[in-house]
Amino acid sequence: MSHQPTKGHQIINQVLLHPDSQGTDINLWFDGNGGTGLENALSDPAAIIATIQEAGLRGLGGGGFPTYKKWQFVADQEVSPDKYLICNGNEDEPGTFKDAYLLSHSPHQVIEGALIAALASQINKIVFYINPEQISSLNNIRQAVEQWKTCDYYTLIEAQLGCSLSIRVMESSGHYIGGEETAAIESVEGNFPFPRGKPPFPAVSGVYGCPTLINNMETLANVSHILRKGSEWFKALGLGDSTGTKIYCLSGDVLKPGVFELPMGTPLEDLIYIHGGGMLQDKELKAVFTGGVSSSILTPKDIDVPLDFDSVRQRGSSLGTGAMIVVSEGTGIVKRVTEYVNFYAHSSCGQCPPCKTGTFYISQLLNKIDTGQASSADLESLKNLCKFLPGSGRCHLLDGAVIIVDSSLHHFLDEYKSSLNG
Amino acid sequence: MSGKKVMSGKKAMSGSISYQQALDAYLNKTDFAATDLNIDETTLLDKFHPDHRQETITTLQVGPNKGDRCHKQVAKVLQADSRIDAADLAGARIKETDILVIGGGGAGCAAALMAAESGAKVILATKLRLGDSNTVMAEGGIQASIEKGDTPQSHYNDTYKAGHEKGVKDLIKQLVMDGPETIRWLIQQGMQFDLNEFGDLLTRKAGGTSANRVVYFRDYTGLEMMRVLREAVGNSSVDVWDYSPAVELLCNESGHCAGAILSSLQDCSYVQIKARTVIIATGGIGRVHLNQFPTSNHFGATGDGLVLAYRLGARLRDLDSFQYHPTGVAYPQHLSGTLITEGVRSAGAYMINALGERFVDELKPRDIVAAAIIRECKEGRGVVGNSSDGNDGMQGVWLDTPGLEARNPGLLQKRFPKLVQLGLKSDIDITKIPMLVYPTLHYQNGGVVIDENGLSDIPGLYCVGEVSGGIHGRNRLMGNALLDIICFGRRAGLHAFKNRQTRGHKKISIDHISNLRRELMQNEMPMENKSPLLFPEYARYDTIINCEKRGSSSHCGGCDI
Repeated sequence: MSHQPTKGHQIINQVLLHPDSQGTDINLWFDGNGGTGLENALSDPAAIIATIQEAGLRGLGGGGFPTYKKWQFVADQEVSPDKYLICNGNEDEPGTFKDAYLLSHSPHQVIEGALIAALASQINKIVFYINPEQISSLNNIRQAVEQWKTCDYYTLIEAQLGCSLSIRVMESSGHYIGGEETAAIESVEGNFPFPRGKPPFPAVSGVYGCPTLINNMETLANVSHILRKGSEWFKALGLGDSTGTKIYCLSGDVLKPGVFELPMGTPLEDLIYIHGGGMLQDKELKAVFTGGVSSSILTPKDIDVPLDFDSVRQRGSSLGTGAMIVVSEGTGIVKRVTEYVNFYAHSSCGQCPPCKTGTFYISQLLNKIDTGQASSADLESLKNLCKFLPGSGRCHLLDGAVIIVDSSLHHFLDEYKSSLNG
Repeated sequence: MSGKKVMSGKKAMSGSISYQQALDAYLNKTDFAATDLNIDETTLLDKFHPDHRQETITTLQVGPNKGDRCHKQVAKVLQADSRIDAADLAGARIKETDILVIGGGGAGCAAALMAAESGAKVILATKLRLGDSNTVMAEGGIQASIEKGDTPQSHYNDTYKAGHEKGVKDLIKQLVMDGPETIRWLIQQGMQFDLNEFGDLLTRKAGGTSANRVVYFRDYTGLEMMRVLREAVGNSSVDVWDYSPAVELLCNESGHCAGAILSSLQDCSYVQIKARTVIIATGGIGRVHLNQFPTSNHFGATGDGLVLAYRLGARLRDLDSFQYHPTGVAYPQHLSGTLITEGVRSAGAYMINALGERFVDELKPRDIVAAAIIRECKEGRGVVGNSSDGNDGMQGVWLDTPGLEARNPGLLQKRFPKLVQLGLKSDIDITKIPMLVYPTLHYQNGGVVIDENGLSDIPGLYCVGEVSGGIHGRNRLMGNALLDIICFGRRAGLHAFKNRQTRGHKKISIDHISNLRRELMQNEMPMENKSPLLFPEYARYDTIINCEKRGSSSHCGGCDI
């Protein structure tokens, strides 16, 4: 099979993973891509949100929600008494390792982005909320924050805000659910990360009832570059209607797995066959699991899908965090789905009974099928659960578990049937 | 064992002397002069020891030991593709346990017993049956510094020196310090040792040692050890799975070892054992017949544990260092490779070449004695055995049991009944006719890098016994292997349970196999070789793969050796 690259295939690592954005020394960052974006922001704070809007930056943690809208919501709130920014680095989804890479290799671009966001929405408390298992991320961000606190920009920002600015680096509880927005707020308040009901939305009432902005690390990392080189430049980076770049985490049965920063909208085919070196042992592609909740399975017919939020959604899946877990022929889908659902069952906070028991039962049924001990009645039970469970949890964890099972049942029902024992 | 198509040792060379001619000369002689026994050991090893043959060494291209020297035949199994694919696990049942021990020899049993005594739920999976191992082959005895005047320090010095000062000091320290306690534990389990008239343990001296330190039971110490270990395991809560070789380890989301995939030979199916901790005790790799040597090793010694651990990322060491036991049977041919214990030399038997000369101090370390025998044969002073097809058979030198018997009447029958029996099976009365011997591939000196508790580089993965490396450096002393397996087996069993992962593994998988395949492809290595081997090439065993090749997945007749 020959794979013709699209026009963007050679443009790799041009912003966030560019050598000029790397390093843990703040002086190297300022010598490279750092500082200019923040200076531009300081010179005209009122224009920041408009620039972000023009650039078309979207939340890169999985939601794809326009970033400027979130910022605007928070900016519109009265300061009472504080405003919070939670930089969400709880990253724990299967196959996702981009935030860890960013924080351990180039923490300064994330911090500069957070400072610009603080300027835009008049935020005086910034919290870096990091998965405790990412030791190197934690160490590097702590050191980087200390470096920022002693540089001149910090005082300039405080002067602009008219109050003192605090930056705190905290370890999340390590639970997967702690990455959900409202769960993160609970965590920052020192509680167990139980997700809250919405509304009120965090922008109105978040940490201790204060307006709270929550952004993913990759989203924030883009901000200083947009302010530095302008929205037109950022828009031109993307393919088709997309803007900017995306860090894709490629794993599974490919020859060269890893993190690749590519133009947003790069086709799945390019990612797998050009950047990923093709399939391991030249086996046929069977499926791709995309990372993050609400993701269903992509199959070989989706090989041409541009990897951006809208195009992937049109195929019934979701770009999620940009993780692509590639599965080749010769790998059992039921086992992979079982692993996923085990993860969800393990991660359920237990707050909502349908989620607590639902993920558990789905997991039990899948394990039974996977180990060849299930009957056709079990398969029917699984199908039924997939019909009535969605929407009954406070957050999306339960839906995420169901979607992946439902999608695998849709594409690979025969595999389920062949694993049945009577 | 009919599958023993053992490759020849040394075929006859011009100038060597025929069996009958040499035997006649031997029988007519009563005094055997020694040639100059002060030899330059370094030169001897360089010229004649098989490990020093450069053409058999290669450099590893994949895995944690990339760039290291390795024997070619070992490299072939380490750099082979896995026997299984993820799809093979569809429908494979999962069984959970605290500790999985892979290997049913002495080390595996000791580890399983200690873990079970601590309260762990233990599964012991073995490729054939419990006790099918090299442990039962061990004849000479087990070392421990229990005699007056002997000390663990002397034991340490001897072990370190014999290993060419390449052993890991902390491991040797642990080995020698645990020696006396290990013997006490074995006696508590019910093991018998040869005793003097006062009931004290009898000891003898091993080659390369400074004191009488080997305790023994006749010339089948290992068999006696295995007898009591089997009984102890049978009386414990350990769940023994026979005919269940491990074909791959499982890893969790953090790369920790999380169990193994067993291939049940009885019903041709895979089973996933999800375990908090895995202890590999699968023994060595003698059955690949390195350098085409015959081997004293058990049929199952195919290096499976080395392969499994290496794939998961465990570092190995000394992969180019093996022990060739000086006295393997060279004639009769069908017994070639069968071990004659070093205890015979400890008791005072000489080694004599075809010219009727002693050519080496028989109690030098094994590598020196082996190299000296090879030198005699290569330089035309070997005896050529008869072959069943009428051609020349293997060469060898005499092991002077008649001389020993003459100096100590009745000793052979009393101390070495197994050897006497071995002779009778070949119509040789060893009190009158000497056995023809030649070095036999005996022991894998290197192996998985471990700490004092047997823990490898991989969290949750312990390796004990011959599969581990570092204890014996590049040459092992007689009697230290039996000590090693019990000492480190017990330590691993205890430590594994104490330090088991308290939270269950979120996810178990064989994702590490993809990394192996990536490396193999990127280095353009052949993908058709599969490992672990499980059985020697010449064995026909109904593994799952063999069943599939024949298209008869329903049939599985078990061992067809």
